[in-house]
Amino acid sequence: MNIKTLLPLILSINVLSGCVTSRVDEMVFNEPEIGIGEATAVILGRRHGSDYATEPDFVQCVGAHIMKKDPTITIIPETYFLDQLYPWFEPRTAPLEPRNLQRFTEERALLQTLESLDLAYMIWIDGSTKNTGSDGSLSCSLHGCFGFATWSNEANYEAIIWDFTARAEVGKVNTESSGQTYMPSIFVPLPIHAPVKGVACDGIGDQLLEFLSGKF
Amino acid sequence: MIVQGDFPTPLIEKLNQTLGVYYEDEFKSHEIFDEAKSRGQADWQIRTGEAQVRLWNLIFSGVFSKTLTLSERPSSEKPADGVDVIIIPHVEELQYAIPSHTQVKVYEIWMRYRFELINAAGEPLGDWKMTAYGKTPQNLVMGIEGGQSKEEAINLAAIMALRDAGAHFVTSFRRAEPIALWLDGLSAREDDPNERKFSQPESIELNQ
Repeated sequence: MNIKTLLPLILSINVLSGCVTSRVDEMVFNEPEIGIGEATAVILGRRHGSDYATEPDFVQCVGAHIMKKDPTITIIPETYFLDQLYPWFEPRTAPLEPRNLQRFTEERALLQTLESLDLAYMIWIDGSTKNTGSDGSLSCSLHGCFGFATWSNEANYEAIIWDFTARAEVGKVNTESSGQTYMPSIFVPLPIHAPVKGVACDGIGDQLLEFLSGKF
Repeated sequence: MIVQGDFPTPLIEKLNQTLGVYYEDEFKSHEIFDEAKSRGQADWQIRTGEAQVRLWNLIFSGVFSKTLTLSERPSSEKPADGVDVIIIPHVEELQYAIPSHTQVKVYEIWMRYRFELINAAGEPLGDWKMTAYGKTPQNLVMGIEGGQSKEEAINLAAIMALRDAGAHFVTSFRRAEPIALWLDGLSAREDDPNERKFSQPESIELNQ
């Protein structure tokens, strides 16, 4: 069997997804009835934990998911926000509670920049996707790869919503998802991928959309 | 690997003083070399010098109204002209950790700086130490590491550590003892009526 005959098989299996179990919990205190309107929101990752850091691509994924489903919402990109307001939202300096935002009023330049962004909500995402175990074995040589490998992943994220004007926490969304990726291999590896991170991104994005958008 | 990346300008009200900055050659070409300890490991050479200079130029010019980079260390024989005070940064230590060393799924960089504060005539006003830390998560593609090389991950951790160094400096430098004493001296001079009364005519006489 040559690679040309195997290719359609590889491609068809590559689009197969493994099974993902997901759970989303939401707790909202003060939801805006007509969405955030012309104002903006920013989604930031927490990165002060000792053994993990919220992945920038996950934060980006959640923002993109929200803006794709409701293009009227403006989510300020995380890197732009962090650079514009450097050094006040770095892991060392970022406020851990909404009342800590009060100290920013002492920094005139910072306050002016924040006002120019017309920020309504600041959303902090804390969590990560971890590989929780693996099994099986694959061995590769010049003749190809043979064997079977499987590994499980777990995504755990929490989004905390701050009302920037009121300097108060107004909501919390938790998502947990887990799944198993399989990789059987006869000559070439044929991964059946469980998109654990993607499911977590969609889950948290949908809940935030309900909060930020007047359409959902 | 050479640390590559850009840094933002700090958003802070500037001190109305002119700072002289002197980067020693060791600082400008700072690097660490870590030889592999076993067959499965790789050598690591991390060059941070160029990135250090880029970062600190932005930080100092963001904190002081004017900064001048000095080509040599000032002394009583060759004092620096037109500066109020001079900072000389040093990287005293840099440590790195990668997942294969620690079993923790993050790449980390830790640095310890020492800043010397001297006057225009090169006389020491004191020094202080400061640490910085940066990490980046191991990138998982389909649950296994991928999507970025180890070098890219270390580079990102170094950029995060440098950003943290800048953040630490901006938010704490006024409390560092030598800077606090120097700032106290400045405000005492401003408050002293004799200083105000006589300093100006004296300088006018000198100019004439």
